[in-house]
Amino acid sequence: MTVKDHSSADDQTLVRAAQRGDMAAFEELVARHRDKIFARAYSMMRNEEEAVDLSQEAWVKGWQRLRQFQGESGFGTWMTRIVINLCLDQLRKQKRQRTESIEAMDEESGGVERHMPVVTVNPTAGLERAELRQRIDRALGQLSYEHRTVLVLHEFEEMEYKQIAKTMGCSIGTVMSRLFYARRKLAALLADLKKQDSV
Amino acid sequence: MDYNAQLKLQACLDGELPEGEAGKLAMTAARDGEAAALLEELRNTRAALAGFEAEIQLPESREFFWSKIEREIQRSEAPAPGSAAPPLFALLRPFLVPAFALALVFIAGVVLTRPTSPVRRAAAADSETTLADAGAFTYRDYSAGTTLVWLSYPADNEVAEDDEMGTVN
Repeated sequence: MTVKDHSSADDQTLVRAAQRGDMAAFEELVARHRDKIFARAYSMMRNEEEAVDLSQEAWVKGWQRLRQFQGESGFGTWMTRIVINLCLDQLRKQKRQRTESIEAMDEESGGVERHMPVVTVNPTAGLERAELRQRIDRALGQLSYEHRTVLVLHEFEEMEYKQIAKTMGCSIGTVMSRLFYARRKLAALLADLKKQDSV
Repeated sequence: MDYNAQLKLQACLDGELPEGEAGKLAMTAARDGEAAALLEELRNTRAALAGFEAEIQLPESREFFWSKIEREIQRSEAPAPGSAAPPLFALLRPFLVPAFALALVFIAGVVLTRPTSPVRRAAAADSETTLADAGAFTYRDYSAGTTLVWLSYPADNEVAEDDEMGTVN
């Protein structure tokens, strides 16, 4: 099979070929899904270099475990779960090496999100896509990894509360509380950024 | 509005509540200004995040990124240096252990059965000594570390003493 043949084949065909050891088929799968896998790693890690390394590691793991892939989900979804688990492992390691973030301490000390004023005006209304992306990027970077991860898994990975709890090894109540805090904090941060711009 | 009600409102937005409960909560939110404002804020945040990841791209070319993955795969699949055994040794290895064990048993047998060997001589001397003195009875208590020997006949020196006494008499 030539490289041209691979580019016109669907994911299932490529996966089957790769499971038989066809590296060129796997290369095509990497080319198709690499941006999505990198984007997920970047959303979680907030560091481009780490995100590149982890997405590369995910692809190597993907090749090594390819025989376990039975096609219950799409190949892209399967790969995304691999990179999410790698990112979670890395974030947990990093957390052990440094003190807890202010956000995490806030959550432990009684839930500041309950007392945050509601953001009544949509802080992202009328923004250009690039500007919006930049602001969200900055706001996400100010959340603790636990809050950011819950948000990423729910909003980008479209996981249900139960799945997030299983992935993160916590209760559904904790997921609900973290998601609520993350959303409220993000709204407040975006509102602050809007205020700073208008001054 | 208490914290649990706020979390329920969020669950309603995320489609995590049963239909009946979600309907009731939506009606409550419509009447309660605070709840309606919170729901709007949560909706806006969700909307802002939608499509955020779509524009993130890997900052490396297809060829370069793949070359790193390919190299890593090949490295992980290559046998570790030094782990490859010579083919002849690998073939003979299953037979070497039993052969070595048999050789050890044979050598031990030869050493123990040789009449001139020190081990054999020591064993023989022990049994001769024991058999030679049929009038002696030995009791060993290993737990107490004690050995008692009864002699059922007069010892040589006792006979000598008797003789001496007799001489005196």
